[in-house]
Amino acid sequence: MQSRRGFLRGALATAALPATSWASVGNPSHLSAAQDPSGDYALYGLREDGTRAFRVSLPQRGHAAAAHPSAPEAVAFARRPGTFALVLDCSDGHVQHRLDAPEGHHFYGHGAFSADGAFLFTTENHVATGRGIVGVWDRASGYARIDQISSHGIGPHEIIRMPDGGLAVANGGIRTHPDTGRQKLNLETMRPNLAILDRNGRLSDLADVPGELHMNSLRHISVQAQGRVACGFQWQGDPFDTPALLAIYGAQGLEFIEFEEGLSQRMKGYIGSVGWLDTRQVLVSSPRGGLLINYDSMTGASVISRLDDVCGVAASTTGGLATDGLGRLHAVSGKQNVTLASYPLAFDNHLIRIGTA
Amino acid sequence: MRFVFALAACLPSFAFADAQAVIDQHITPGYAKFAETASQLAETARNDCGPEAVLPAYHDTFDAWLGVSHITFGPVEKDGRGFAISFWPDPKDRVAKGIGRLVSVQDPVVNDPEAFASVSVAAQGLNALERLLIEPPEDADYACALVQAVSTALARNAATLNQEWPEYAALMVSPGNARFQSAEEVDRAIYTALSTGLEFLYDARLGRPLGTFDRPRPRRAETYRSARAQRNVVLNLAALQDLTMHFADTETPETMLHFETALTRAEALDDPDFSGVANPGKRIKIESIQSTVRELRIAVDAEIGAPMGISAGFNALDGD
Repeated sequence: MQSRRGFLRGALATAALPATSWASVGNPSHLSAAQDPSGDYALYGLREDGTRAFRVSLPQRGHAAAAHPSAPEAVAFARRPGTFALVLDCSDGHVQHRLDAPEGHHFYGHGAFSADGAFLFTTENHVATGRGIVGVWDRASGYARIDQISSHGIGPHEIIRMPDGGLAVANGGIRTHPDTGRQKLNLETMRPNLAILDRNGRLSDLADVPGELHMNSLRHISVQAQGRVACGFQWQGDPFDTPALLAIYGAQGLEFIEFEEGLSQRMKGYIGSVGWLDTRQVLVSSPRGGLLINYDSMTGASVISRLDDVCGVAASTTGGLATDGLGRLHAVSGKQNVTLASYPLAFDNHLIRIGTA
Repeated sequence: MRFVFALAACLPSFAFADAQAVIDQHITPGYAKFAETASQLAETARNDCGPEAVLPAYHDTFDAWLGVSHITFGPVEKDGRGFAISFWPDPKDRVAKGIGRLVSVQDPVVNDPEAFASVSVAAQGLNALERLLIEPPEDADYACALVQAVSTALARNAATLNQEWPEYAALMVSPGNARFQSAEEVDRAIYTALSTGLEFLYDARLGRPLGTFDRPRPRRAETYRSARAQRNVVLNLAALQDLTMHFADTETPETMLHFETALTRAEALDDPDFSGVANPGKRIKIESIQSTVRELRIAVDAEIGAPMGISAGFNALDGD
């Protein structure tokens, strides 16, 4: 078992260096899916100065992407409950590989690479049982499906690589069935959690959402250098009784963060993305409230800005970036946001920093 | 390959909206009226804190608040001020908890307006005042001090909004600043206030008491204690209609038709506290207001949002 599941252990030594690099596709620092004015969908490579490095077409609306750490390859996932993902060559947009979810599974729209880029991990639903699965795909053999492990919950959504080479999985807790689309089948009994897997793919910690918050669905996560995981929730209960929507996972488990009075309600109980800017500040987007919150985990202070339809957030070398559905790319640092560019695009839910996922 | 597009080049013209008229004829006078009534309220309470004396001033202040309660941008965004004025819906009854905490220790904070601003926002506003006037705490002296403290807090908050509003309005009139980078953003902010105002009317003011046919929730009606749930719907509709008339430069016949229908139905209702949600004959009338508001939202979207190039957010509408 252990040898077969060595995929998370430092395979770095054996990994072959890719023939091409991200520099060959215009040196993008980030990726985001977007809708073009024509209504078509595409994946864009973006630079920190707001310029675009490349555009490759997508066959349908994307959700998140996973960027290979070194080769200019991106995995674009169809939106939940999609059954395929495409490995795109970002130099010319051609589809290098198509990943089909195994019979009886569907993807949740997120994936992550191992640090050396040798393996891709995908969040999946085993439809018949509703169990959450992490699929393992081997890049060297043309993204062959080589293994799968439990996500240790229902409805795994975002998956990220931890600084120690393990994985963190946001188990949203909500069971759905492709026959009924996104209809939520188990709101009364849902129990979301954050699962931490070690480098052998074994469960090293399971942080449950406390009982009174069991309808707080964990969807999006981000990790900082010390291994603290920012957790962004989506509240499924009474919208006027919204609890804390951000938690930070650390040695003490999940610590829920209370924002200022009424802010969770203004966020409509919904966080779209979370992203650490450094070891201390977390950027949180609220597309439904049109709010971007920069939370300082050291002081507990937060800087709130109004940004219509903001959703994608990610760290950058100078602080952070945020994208919105109006085609804008914003630089975030300290208190001030600066709009770097406005494109005739609608940026989709997530902004991915190359090298981290 | 580098592409940079100017935003203005790719969006339809937005000559349809008149932000200046909204500011001058809707928001500015709305805040002035709210500040004036709240100031009267505080003065009334100072002279006579009894419910009979204060209730009319409470109603006047609430009426004035409904003229601007849908304005979600501006000084009201700061420090949860909106919640300090009106704390509803309140499923955990934090109004009662906030008041109870003060009453149980006879907290002298009621005598210090500066310090009172830092008590639970649920205990500072119109909903707290309603509770104090309709279900007063036993200790009459402390109840009186609380009525005065809450009235004063309302007057101070209303005065702050009224004072700070012009500075914010200036940012809207001359976009190209950190808050509003373009006229399009100004229009979008106003449009969002209109559409979220209608959403709140539908989901909260009408939807919460309606609940479901099998389980109506009359005690979830806004301010049912002071029997002004119906009045709030009427005034909320009137304020949103006024906003729309100043905002839209084009003809909006469907929108106006649905506003008129909804207003006529809401005014004709004889159900001040919405207890009728539990009575099938009355319930159907409240449901008909709600379905008109649904039509209204669709019309606003089509007649105002779409021509301005504003649609519900790509991410806001369809996330995951």
